[in-house]
Amino acid sequence: MRIGTLKESYVADAALFDSVTQKRMLAAGAALLVLFPFIANDYWLYLACLVAINIVSATGLNILTGYTGLVSLGQAAFMGLGAYTVAILETRLGTHFLINLWAGGAVAMLGGIIVGIPSLRVKGLYLAITTIAASFIAHFLFANFEFTGRTGGLSLPPARTFGIFLDTSFRLYWMIVPITVLMVIGAANLFRTRIGRAFIAIRDRDISAEVLGIPLLRYKLLSFAVSSFYAGVAGGLWAYFFRVVTPESFPLVMSIFFLAAIIVGGMGTILGGILGAIFMTMVPELLKLIFDILPGGREMTVFLSPVRTVVFGLLIVGFLVFEPLGLAEVWRRIRRFFHLWPFRN
Amino acid sequence: MIDWAYLFEVSLTGIASGGLYALAGLAFVLVYKATRVVNLAIGEMLMVGAYLFFTFAALFALPIWLAIPLAVLGCGLLGALIERTMIRPLLGEPPISAFMVTVGLASILVGIVEIIWSADQRRLPEFLPSTPVMIGDAFIAPKVAWGAGVAVVLIGFVLVLFRYWRGGVALRATASDQGAAYAMGINVPRVFSIAWVASAMIAAVAGIIVGAIGGISSSMGVFGLSVLVVVMVGGLDSVLGALVAGLFIGWVEAVAGTFLGGEYKLLATFLVLVVVLMIRPYGLFGTHEIERL
Amino acid sequence: MFDRKSFVTRRSVMSLAAGAALAAGLTIPAQAQQEDIVVGGSIPMTGVFAFAGVGINAGMSDYFKIVNDAGGVNGRKIKFVIEDTGYKVDVSVAAFKKITSQDKVNLYYGDSTGFAKTINPELDRNGQIMMAGASFATELNDPKKYPHQFLVGPDYTEMFGILLNHIAKEKPGAKVAFVYSDSEFGRDPIESSEALAKKLGLSVPVKIMTAPGSVDVSTEVIKLRRAAPDYTIFHGYILAPIPEFVQQGKQMGMTTKWMGTFWTMDSSTVMKMGEAGDGFMGVMPYRYYYDDAANSPMLQKIRQMRPEYQSTAYMQGFLTAMLFTESAKRTLAAGKPLNGGNLKAALNSIKNFDTGGIIGTPITIGGNSIPVGRVYKADMKAQKMVPASDWISLAK
Repeated sequence: MRIGTLKESYVADAALFDSVTQKRMLAAGAALLVLFPFIANDYWLYLACLVAINIVSATGLNILTGYTGLVSLGQAAFMGLGAYTVAILETRLGTHFLINLWAGGAVAMLGGIIVGIPSLRVKGLYLAITTIAASFIAHFLFANFEFTGRTGGLSLPPARTFGIFLDTSFRLYWMIVPITVLMVIGAANLFRTRIGRAFIAIRDRDISAEVLGIPLLRYKLLSFAVSSFYAGVAGGLWAYFFRVVTPESFPLVMSIFFLAAIIVGGMGTILGGILGAIFMTMVPELLKLIFDILPGGREMTVFLSPVRTVVFGLLIVGFLVFEPLGLAEVWRRIRRFFHLWPFRN
Repeated sequence: MIDWAYLFEVSLTGIASGGLYALAGLAFVLVYKATRVVNLAIGEMLMVGAYLFFTFAALFALPIWLAIPLAVLGCGLLGALIERTMIRPLLGEPPISAFMVTVGLASILVGIVEIIWSADQRRLPEFLPSTPVMIGDAFIAPKVAWGAGVAVVLIGFVLVLFRYWRGGVALRATASDQGAAYAMGINVPRVFSIAWVASAMIAAVAGIIVGAIGGISSSMGVFGLSVLVVVMVGGLDSVLGALVAGLFIGWVEAVAGTFLGGEYKLLATFLVLVVVLMIRPYGLFGTHEIERL
Repeated sequence: MFDRKSFVTRRSVMSLAAGAALAAGLTIPAQAQQEDIVVGGSIPMTGVFAFAGVGINAGMSDYFKIVNDAGGVNGRKIKFVIEDTGYKVDVSVAAFKKITSQDKVNLYYGDSTGFAKTINPELDRNGQIMMAGASFATELNDPKKYPHQFLVGPDYTEMFGILLNHIAKEKPGAKVAFVYSDSEFGRDPIESSEALAKKLGLSVPVKIMTAPGSVDVSTEVIKLRRAAPDYTIFHGYILAPIPEFVQQGKQMGMTTKWMGTFWTMDSSTVMKMGEAGDGFMGVMPYRYYYDDAANSPMLQKIRQMRPEYQSTAYMQGFLTAMLFTESAKRTLAAGKPLNGGNLKAALNSIKNFDTGGIIGTPITIGGNSIPVGRVYKADMKAQKMVPASDWISLAK
């Protein structure tokens, strides 16, 4: 517990942001988000958009795995569902991107519910592997149906609003980042409600939760639904961002990437999903920078990609062994340290 | 109209290649039985075994009879290392943590293999006999037949070991009740180590055979996915289950691949998995755990 | 308390480092030097496709060095900037964004079909860049959909066409089996080639699709033997599982002739098949490094620059660089600015062009591809690929 934050009501206790400092920092963060596109070059804007998409998906997985305790390796497949839905609607009907994204989320949600149905009978790690099965089945469907363009996939025109084509990273930024912010705030608020608390109760001990009057099947399915809705929207954004959707766009490795992101970031905290997605997306770039600085860099670049793979694995293992609460905990520790600084040492 | 001779020939080959699934499944079950860790990196451990063999046999040009034991020992050492550095610290953590550690482990092993041996596809030296095996008119590729033979012998050996050897009994005791095993003076952490070492060694043998059949590359860990399906269908903690499900999945893959097309292979196995799990959530032969509050 | 503090700082190092990296990269794009022609590249120096990427990079660098040593193009030097991609589409796109935001890029080399498709809308929008790449996908061979890209050789369907033409001439009415991987790469030419086979009077008794990453193909071999084809064409693989097909097929007494397409046909790849690979055939649009045909000055130059064997990927890179340079030269000679449309128009003005022996016949680039190639055959004793046909051109 921190000191110096006196709460006088439940409302204050449940508030998302409880101190003035926090609100100020948030305002600064928002200002930075608005200013960023005007100072960054195309490459950094590209990365920012990618990070934002990954944050949406990681937050979704965090709801399922971090908050409800159901491990899923199917996040990429749900993203695929969303991406294909968006691609099909955009090319066939040409509806507005907001409608398409909603539809993408909804279709992914449906997929999530179907995959979630076994979750009452099949538990724990068995469930994780059923989600792998689901993602292979999804891949099969994408690769063999005519209207998903078979192995060649689908290309789609850029999103359009008020007659403006969102075709550069700069323009896409204004579509992706606000949606990401909304989705994250939505997730944070979810855990101030009965539903969110029910998820946490299921994670901590599902049978006890049922005894407490939480219908397991309904809430597990709900968790799957919400989580895959997030994945679907992320997939839709992904489709608008890359403008090509193929069955190979959403491999199992991608699901593992999101799992890694929430492990590294910190499971069961909203901040964890955000930090994890940022960190895991930036690590390859960071490694590239390090390799550029290293002496004999030219010959060393041969090792860049395998080193990336090793570092990816080491991060997962390292955080699980040494820092199971993830970056969010590191952040909290830093914050606590500076909370009364410089009056404490 | 079904061509029975054709079906027989395909089935035979399918079952024979299922032997390899059974062997790799055994490596998996061993670890799960003893430590309750779902090892997602099983395919990558196979890969390391195959690459070690490649190094000894092709690069150092050692004779085959020396290269195989060296590769198996090397892989066993790796198993010990993994257990000591990654699994032991998680003792008492929820099983999901250990599961995700093995996800990370898979990535680490792939990266290391690519650093040392590069990502190029390679061929292992030929060491299995090359005269085809004929059963009636049905043909089985020699490597597949020999691989199945080795798998069966090894599985039988492990079963005997489980039954009569002291360490095997300790392992079974730990599997059925960890607390009681501790109380009876069994050194449980040592059992953990032994299980990982034995599992890694079996994986190495499986990897060498798989590599001899299909060549080796840093993506051969995909084999582990089919193995995962096998042990899920058989039941995570059942050796018999791994054996039966291994042969069965081998057969399903062969038949689906031949009569429906290559794209249906994985689909068929995963459908089998989903169906089995819906009917029997703990696999065909797995122990059904009772929930207590 | 002191301990606690150091503890915190150590733990936070990682996140601070990430932040620092972010800040370091937020720089204004560097102004490109006006006189340089910039060639960018997303090239897989690592990962599963590294064997090709390394060769491509060497081939392109070598040719640009030759050009720059001779004074460049109209006095303008060529600057070649690459980033490693590990053969991952998202990394490739990131590399493209990075390179194009640092330099004013005129020409680009992409590493995969996925990348070529993903980046195409960006190329159309940007309009400044002409791109070629490591992909021979049939889909890209469409000047309407891909106006700023081209293929440095025949597309996969045309590769099959060259093989089928050769087969139809060698053994009319032959049975040809297709074995391919379940991937975009593998499925690419199959349907169109089956139609072509029919047109040439050949039959396709069996098409076998293997699951991606599958190692054990013994049931597929049984299926193949049942069909008893005269020729078997593999596509969508680099090496595995071809050797296993060939070996098991030969053990079963099959007499079919085995064939492959470009990415299988590098000399070093075929040689890995060992004894069983003797007589393995396939289509190759370029000459091999050790080809000592007369009137191939470029090959001689390559052998001078690099005394050791260079892969066919090297040749591909070398020829790409040559065509890039030629297009730039023609555009500048016409006094036009270097942009995607002009470069492509210049490329398409290439008629009966002598590649200095890289391709053994003069080439004409009417559309998006160069539909020529030759059938080669493995000679395991000499450890070389030897020509099995003359140069075959599918251009009308």
